[in-house]
Amino acid sequence: MGISIGLDIAVKALRAHQLAVDVASHNLANATSPGFSRQRVLLRPLGIDGSDHFTRDALLGRTGFGVDASDVNRVRDIFLDYQQRQALGQRTQSETQAQALEKAELVFNDPSDDGLAAMLAQFWNAWHDVVNDPEGSAARTTLVHTTTTLASRIQRAHSNLTKQRDDLNYQVDAMGLRINAIADELAQLNFQVKQVELSGEMANDLRDRRDLLLDQLAEIGNIDVTEESDHTVTVKLGNHDLVSGAQSYAVEVVGDGGTPEMKNLQFVSDGVAVDVSSGELRGLLDARDTDMPALIAKLDTLAAKLIESVNTLHKTGYGLDDLAGPPGPERDFFSGTGAADIALHADLLSDPNKIAAAGGAGKPGDGSVALQIAELQMQATLGTQTFEEYYSSMVAVLGADVSRVQGLAASNQLLTNHLEAMRQSVQGVNIDEEVANLHAAQYAYQAAARVITTIDEMLDTLINRMAV
Amino acid sequence: MRVSEQSRLTARLGYLQNVTERLDLLQRQLATEKKVHRASDDPAGTVLSLGHRRDIAFEEQMRRNLSSGVAFMNATEAALDGATDALQRVRELTIRAANGPLGPDNRGAIAAEVDQLIGQLAQLANTNFAGAYIFSGHQTRTPAYDVTGSPPTAITFVGDTGERIRQISKQDKVAVNVSGVAVFGNIFDELLTLRDNLNTGATGSVIAASISVLDTAIDRMIDVRAEIGARVNRFEAAQRLSEKSDTDLQMLRAEIEDADITETVLQLSAQDVAFQAALQAIGRTSNMTLLNFLR
Repeated sequence: MGISIGLDIAVKALRAHQLAVDVASHNLANATSPGFSRQRVLLRPLGIDGSDHFTRDALLGRTGFGVDASDVNRVRDIFLDYQQRQALGQRTQSETQAQALEKAELVFNDPSDDGLAAMLAQFWNAWHDVVNDPEGSAARTTLVHTTTTLASRIQRAHSNLTKQRDDLNYQVDAMGLRINAIADELAQLNFQVKQVELSGEMANDLRDRRDLLLDQLAEIGNIDVTEESDHTVTVKLGNHDLVSGAQSYAVEVVGDGGTPEMKNLQFVSDGVAVDVSSGELRGLLDARDTDMPALIAKLDTLAAKLIESVNTLHKTGYGLDDLAGPPGPERDFFSGTGAADIALHADLLSDPNKIAAAGGAGKPGDGSVALQIAELQMQATLGTQTFEEYYSSMVAVLGADVSRVQGLAASNQLLTNHLEAMRQSVQGVNIDEEVANLHAAQYAYQAAARVITTIDEMLDTLINRMAV
Repeated sequence: MRVSEQSRLTARLGYLQNVTERLDLLQRQLATEKKVHRASDDPAGTVLSLGHRRDIAFEEQMRRNLSSGVAFMNATEAALDGATDALQRVRELTIRAANGPLGPDNRGAIAAEVDQLIGQLAQLANTNFAGAYIFSGHQTRTPAYDVTGSPPTAITFVGDTGERIRQISKQDKVAVNVSGVAVFGNIFDELLTLRDNLNTGATGSVIAASISVLDTAIDRMIDVRAEIGARVNRFEAAQRLSEKSDTDLQMLRAEIEDADITETVLQLSAQDVAFQAALQAIGRTSNMTLLNFLR
């Protein structure tokens, strides 16, 4: 073995440890970068012919040919990635749903002194006051005010819920853009990773970026990721290809068939609907298409039944100034047909004397019809439930739903936190570790430099000190 | 397990987040004195508590129905007392006129007083309480009796026998009024006849015939008075019952909705200690790396 080979080994060592210093500093620089995987220099001893030192040359008793440090790998556990992406989707789904339901819950503001339940109670009480004092105007005026407050409160709850549903719809709409942006970048990264790795290098940072985007995509909907032999990933959103190699399949926003103002997502290429089983998109769709409509329908049922049953009785009654009869004036108490438009009838608003409290014409002191209406409070008008029972079970069911999805979101969060901790335990940067690596590389570098000095001295001895 | 900078950061933020969330909840409970702010805080409790709230509001209304009913019946009682007194006086005068050897002047004076008492009775029969003529049945916007002439020649009942029924408890509905017919019957006709007899110098036996009529009327009035008194008692009992159940309901509601202040304060200070401990632990370890020891 010649001296020049020793020099070559030393130079390789210098380069290798220089690289190790670079990698350690890259790791330190990215200690808190999201999605970053720490990188490792793969140091490999070489045999004289460039093969692995230990296969043949060791057996021959020959010395090695130094260190090879061409590969820099990232440390990452793809199985944890897989688990985390599933967990992320479940977490965002439940969080999205929880947020939507929490907002809906605020609309009702019960149990409290000024919730809808209290308004309902005041409404019935106002009827009792009319029973007590049917000929007086004070009780009638109070009933007018109480009814107006109740009706506008129901209307407001209805419009708030509808608006919340519209907001969810906007979010679904905006989701299309996010999916497309991620899909485009993934396709681009696929192309770049493939190009870089064809030449035998590792595209570590590109891969990190790709994995980060896949995490983000998994938060939107359930995805399926397969790494192909050409180092690209094939990504399915739901069951449909979203990215394949350098090709991405865009999604578009379309109006729902039945209700065009409600937006849905579909793939542009073949018109197949985007169908996900978890993620933010699933949460949004569930809240928009299941939870909110159910709530609005319940509120509507309550209002419609209130209108119907009060009106039915009110039609049989007579106002203070109604002298003719029978048949009486057959006057409605409420106008409107549901929660969206329930209101005190305009005639009664302008003239409370028209409130039909009496059971017959010309009976100002008779509050029998008003009493029948007041008694509706305790009657099972909605199936087996009274108005208040129906309302309180509606609020309680909503509350139970909120509490359930909140619990789900919290436990999903625990799971993703745990998995993230495990991922970070593998791929995350530890400063102490990198500083130790830095020092090790520094000493190794110094040692390699020392080798060169030694060889230099040897050459000096050989060339200058040996007498010719 | 290997610890990285990222996982350390996430874990620290997680601890702090947990502790601040708990702190926040306790502070809110303390500030509002409630532990159930929304249905989701206690869904099952909410159903119960909304039920209690409804019953509290209902009982409050029942007490209002009861107390205004009692006021109405008190006015009725007062009118009945006055009417009974007036009839007693008429009876005394009638006895004097029937028995005593009286001259035309004295008879005239008695007739004048009877006339005045008739007016008084008519006024009582037309008592108006809080805008309602209480003896008119359902015709509460018009006086129960129509008085013709002055001095009156006819006093006619123009009301009806309608009952003012109100709810006084979940089960009971009760009328608070009595119709003028039930109270006064045909007494006005009888009194007008008596007055005319006095004025026209009818014999003692003719006048004495009015005494039994008056007795019947007075008896009827006392009966009605007793009936009203019984109803008032019933109302007052119902009111006490309602007040009692209000106390019970308020307690049940509070048990579900209200925060136990003492317990909350204790929990809050415990959480506060935990929070400070977490902060200190983080502060002590977070700026510690190998770099502090390597040169």
